[in-house]
Amino acid sequence: MSIVLDQVTKHYAGLPVVNDVSLDIGDGEFFVLLGPSGSGKSTLLRAIAGLSGVDHGRIALHGRDVTHVAARKRGVGLVFQNYALFQHMTVADNIEFALRVRRMRAKARRERRRELLRLVALEGMDERLPAQLSGGQQQRVAVARALAHKPEVLLLDEPFGALDAKIREELRRTIRQVQRELGITTVLVTHDQEEAFAMADRIGIMHLGRLLEMGAPHELYSSPATRFVATFLGAANLFLARRTPDGIQIGATTVAAAERAGGERENEVVTVVRPEEVELAATRAALSSGYLASGTVDEVVFTGALERLRVRLEKHQEHTPLLSSGEADSTPTLQVTRTQHEQRGFEVRPGQQVAVGVRRVHVLPTPLSSFTACASSAARAEALTHQPLLAELVARMKTRIGTRIEPQLGLADAPCQGRDTFVGTTVISSGELCAQEAEWLLRRGARDLLALPPQAQVPHRVLIHWVGEAARSATLAISASVLRHVPAEAVYVGIVPGDAAGTGHGQGMRELLDARSEAQAAHGLDMRTELHYGEGERQLALRLAEAPGQMLILGVTALADFTTRFQALLQGPWPVLIVRRGRA
Amino acid sequence: MAGADRAPGSRVSFRQPSILPGFGLTFGFTTVFLSTIVLLPLAALVLEATSMHWADFWHTVLSPRALGSYRLSFGASLLAASINLVFGFIIAWTLVRYEFPGRKLIDALIDMPFALPTAVSGIALTTVFAQNGWIGQYLEPLGIKVAYTWLGVTLALTLISMPFTVRAVQPALLEVQREMEEAAETLGAGRFYAFRRIILPTVLPALLTGFTLSFARAVGEYGSVIFIAGNLPMKTEITPLLIVIHLEQFDYRGAAALGLVMLVISFVMLLAINLIQAWGRRLQIRIAR
Repeated sequence: MSIVLDQVTKHYAGLPVVNDVSLDIGDGEFFVLLGPSGSGKSTLLRAIAGLSGVDHGRIALHGRDVTHVAARKRGVGLVFQNYALFQHMTVADNIEFALRVRRMRAKARRERRRELLRLVALEGMDERLPAQLSGGQQQRVAVARALAHKPEVLLLDEPFGALDAKIREELRRTIRQVQRELGITTVLVTHDQEEAFAMADRIGIMHLGRLLEMGAPHELYSSPATRFVATFLGAANLFLARRTPDGIQIGATTVAAAERAGGERENEVVTVVRPEEVELAATRAALSSGYLASGTVDEVVFTGALERLRVRLEKHQEHTPLLSSGEADSTPTLQVTRTQHEQRGFEVRPGQQVAVGVRRVHVLPTPLSSFTACASSAARAEALTHQPLLAELVARMKTRIGTRIEPQLGLADAPCQGRDTFVGTTVISSGELCAQEAEWLLRRGARDLLALPPQAQVPHRVLIHWVGEAARSATLAISASVLRHVPAEAVYVGIVPGDAAGTGHGQGMRELLDARSEAQAAHGLDMRTELHYGEGERQLALRLAEAPGQMLILGVTALADFTTRFQALLQGPWPVLIVRRGRA
Repeated sequence: MAGADRAPGSRVSFRQPSILPGFGLTFGFTTVFLSTIVLLPLAALVLEATSMHWADFWHTVLSPRALGSYRLSFGASLLAASINLVFGFIIAWTLVRYEFPGRKLIDALIDMPFALPTAVSGIALTTVFAQNGWIGQYLEPLGIKVAYTWLGVTLALTLISMPFTVRAVQPALLEVQREMEEAAETLGAGRFYAFRRIILPTVLPALLTGFTLSFARAVGEYGSVIFIAGNLPMKTEITPLLIVIHLEQFDYRGAAALGLVMLVISFVMLLAINLIQAWGRRLQIRIAR
């Protein structure tokens, strides 16, 4: 492996900018770090280069641990967005800089310079000053300069950002060609997904300091695991759908679920429909794919090879709302792209009624689908939907928040008022009655329950704990999902009865390590671990009271565990997400 | 070019076509302003001095006392400007590169010598560096006398000309891209190497400007020096003071003659530095190698 990152973490002003990133990049691989601005990708690249230190974790280049090695001794070449050429030196002097530092002889220097200038197709430009070159030429010089000392790793920080489209494409080709010719391991940082697709052997997608997913470009595009990747890589329509024993029920149709049989009972899932997987026809009968709904064409834009449309779906199916199509508008519309061939088959104009079909549906493995604010009156439920943390989570997850009114919420033995099933995550407000309400809901089948104090904000640390093995994997999956949308530190709190000298210590440590490796392997979630001694509820309460801005994710299996031990935790000024799995 | 487009025979104009109107007005104002407050007084000075007889002129200008004062004035000014070159750079560097509590305050303090009446600076320095002053009393046993020697003169000139270097270098340092240094670092250069090859060449023109301004300011300084210099003829007497002495004796021509000499020497030195700057582009490249 050329580059190995192990749990690299970097904080800035107390917040993690790079959060527990682990990554292996192979020899000669072209790896692209893709993410929106502020996702931590540039910071990670600078950490690899040695220009900024890391607070935690390890960086190895070609098997050599360089975590504490100065940038100048790491043997990397770095290319900056703004070229960072030495303005007062000629092209030749710029390229030879690294060679002069290494006291190479003039003749050898000159030969190496020739070779490099040929490589980037700038022969004869030796005596020019950077100011006399175009942007594209300057960046070529910067690439040649970064390669002069034969680095083992080439790092490119948004190298095309300052160039116009045509030059950009040309330079892309040059860099890819040079990279192949030299077989040098390369990491490119960009926010441009087209660029990532065009150049990468493998893409890693960063968001809020975490490396969300990585894989070959086509894999990431066709089967993303998270909503963020689904909507960031190309356009995507997100739907809430139902997983039934027959398949995925979306709109009026049921599509066979290709991915993960999902042994669990019927539940709500989030699905991705790419714009090119949508089919339009005049009538339902004319569709060759499964019928989704009917709709009205809002907009048709001709873009050359493709036609882009927006279709407003009719609201008749309560269980398959369209969540998002990338843009943050109140009534999301379905995005559709059609090829020339499809256009010839069925021409549409704005305002036209069409039948909408779906060719392929991808189910996101995310365990959090939608939220339902539950309270005893409509006003309270409505107020709860405006709770800042909840509103933020809903916006970041691009999901939907519904309300559910249970006038007898919390009254023992009172029956449910609404449907007797609970879909997605149920949200209640923290407070005096919270413990009873939580118990009431859990008894009646709610599985994921979020108790929110009115003023709670986005946490910076999430504590994770569970009792009962049955809740373990679901708690980990939900924690991973929450932490993909919240730039917080994840801490698994293991609790051993007794004290440090007791017999439970070894067992406790083993559990910690198991939990950690499972979170890493199954969900790509890196978490810290802590071991506490004593009673679980008491230790958790102490830990939560230590600092503001913490949240607890608590997995329980037996209801009795919750009612006898953890109920009191709901009284505190911190959000608690209860995950209940296993035998009812 | 607008001129080339015109029909032959039309009036040739050196006016550059520009979107901004008002060239005539501003250029006229510039000429009048410069003439009234710079060129005319200088011409008067030259006129006054040239109305002397040659013999008188040379006698005044080359008298041992005058020669001694030139040496002190220009020598101390050069020394002060050189000191500021080094320490002004360090101050500017500290202010630009580091974030520390009180940075804004120190930044504001730099301009104090601008605002303070120079006589006040002189008195303050004398208080501190006199034989029984705060610092002077410790230097005395070491055999170092500051007040009433050329050292004191240099000190005063350094103080009052320091802001010029700092303020000239600061913007240039701000402009040195951090990324350029980082690039040098990834290419294997150590701190000192990067400083010498990258930072220094980039700020060199600004440093020279700062040096020039400091020097020019120091040569013309009068107020602060007369308090700390002691004004012993031939030893600690600066040329501006000698001019004032001539004036007090109503010897306007003598004063004008000395003034003319200062004018010429200053002009030649400033011209030389400006030439070096013009040649600086190439110098920069050479230093970078």
